Amino acid sequence: MLSTDSFPCGRAEALRDFAFDELPAGERHEMEQHIRACDDCAVELDRLRMTTAALRILPDREIPRRIAFVSDEVFQPSMWARFWNSGARLGFASACVLAVAVLVSAWHVSSAFKPGAVQTAAAVVASASPEQIQAVVTRAVARTREEDAKLIQAAVADAEHKRDARYRAQMVALEENFEVFRKTMNLGYARLGASEFPGAGQ
Amino acid sequence: MIFRAVEDTDLISRVRRGDIEAYNLLVSRWEKRVFNYLLRLTAHQEDALDLSQDVFLKAYQNIRKLDDPARFGPWLYRIAHNEAYSLFRQRRPETALDGLENIEAGRNPAPGFSVDLSLAVTAALDRLNPEQREAVVLKVYEGFTFDEMGEILGCPVSTVKSRIYTALDLLKRELAPAANRTGNRGDAC
Repeated sequence: MLSTDSFPCGRAEALRDFAFDELPAGERHEMEQHIRACDDCAVELDRLRMTTAALRILPDREIPRRIAFVSDEVFQPSMWARFWNSGARLGFASACVLAVAVLVSAWHVSSAFKPGAVQTAAAVVASASPEQIQAVVTRAVARTREEDAKLIQAAVADAEHKRDARYRAQMVALEENFEVFRKTMNLGYARLGASEFPGAGQ
Repeated sequence: MIFRAVEDTDLISRVRRGDIEAYNLLVSRWEKRVFNYLLRLTAHQEDALDLSQDVFLKAYQNIRKLDDPARFGPWLYRIAHNEAYSLFRQRRPETALDGLENIEAGRNPAPGFSVDLSLAVTAALDRLNPEQREAVVLKVYEGFTFDEMGEILGCPVSTVKSRIYTALDLLKRELAPAANRTGNRGDAC
C-alpha cells in the first residue's frame, strides 16, 4: 500500500491522510508539529501536493447536452400501477379467487336443496335398506365433491386468466408511456442542440 | 458546503412530493460532475452522456429509497459507478476499463500550465489500473472523503486508501520530472 521502504519516517500513512484533510481533528495539530520537525515528512508532503496539483490541471469538460425531465407523469407509474406493484397484487388476486369460490359454492348449495328434491329423497328413504341408503349417500357426496372441485378449479383459472390479462395490459401501457417519454426527450435534446449549435447538423 | 447540502436536501423533499422542476434543478447542479466522472471512467463522450441520462433517470425513479438525503452525492455516484460497470460488463466482460482510448489527450490544460505537463498527467493516469484510476478520480477530481468513496465503490475504507495511495506513489514517480520542469506555477493544492 505505502512504499515505506523508500520513506524512512514511520508516519507515512498519517501524513497522507493529513495531505487529504482526512486526519481526525485531534491528530492534525500533532501532525503539523511533526512535519515542522521532520524533513522527510515535509518533503513528502510537498511531493504529494505537487502531484495532486499536477492532476488538477486537467479541467472538467462542459456537458454537451443538458439533461432535463419534462414530466413525471409520463414515466412515473400510475397510482393503480404503484398499488398493483406494491405487494397488494397477490392479496387482491387471492381475495378475488376466494370471493368467486364462495359465490359458486353458495349457488351450488342453493340449487341442490330444492323442495322437490327433498321430497323425492324422503320417499326413496322410506322403501330402502340401511346399506342401500348408505351407498346412495356415499355416491351423492362423492358426486357433489367432484362437481364442487370442478367449479372451484374453473373459477380459479378464470380469475388467474383475468389477472394475467390486466397485468399484460398494464405492462404494454407502461412500455408505451416510456416510449413516449423517450421520444419527447430526444425531441427536446434535438431542439436544444439546434438552438445552442445552429450549424451543428450541417 | 453545508448550506448547499441543506438546499439539496430540500430539493429532494420536493422531488419526493412529485415536483419535477425541483429535480431538474438538482440535475443541473450535479450533471456536469457526474458527466465528467463517467467521462473519466469510460473515456468516451457519447457513452458518458448516455450513462449520465440513465443515472439521473434511475435516481429519480429510486429517490424514495434514499435513506439519508444528505448523502445524495455518494448515492448518485454509486448509481453512476454501477451503471458504468454494467456497461463495461456488457461490452468487455474481462477487460473492463483496460486499454481505454486517451480521452484526456484532447483536453487543453488549465490556464498557466504547459501542454507537456498536461500530456504527462494524461499518460500517467493511463498507466494506473482501473480501480486506482477511479479512486484518483473520486478523490482528486470529485473531492469525496474516504468514507464516501467506500460507499460509492462498495468496499472498505482500507481498500480505498490502499488504491489511492498506491496510485499516488505511481503518479508521483511519473509526474516528478514534468512537474519540476513546470515549476510551482499554479500549485492548487
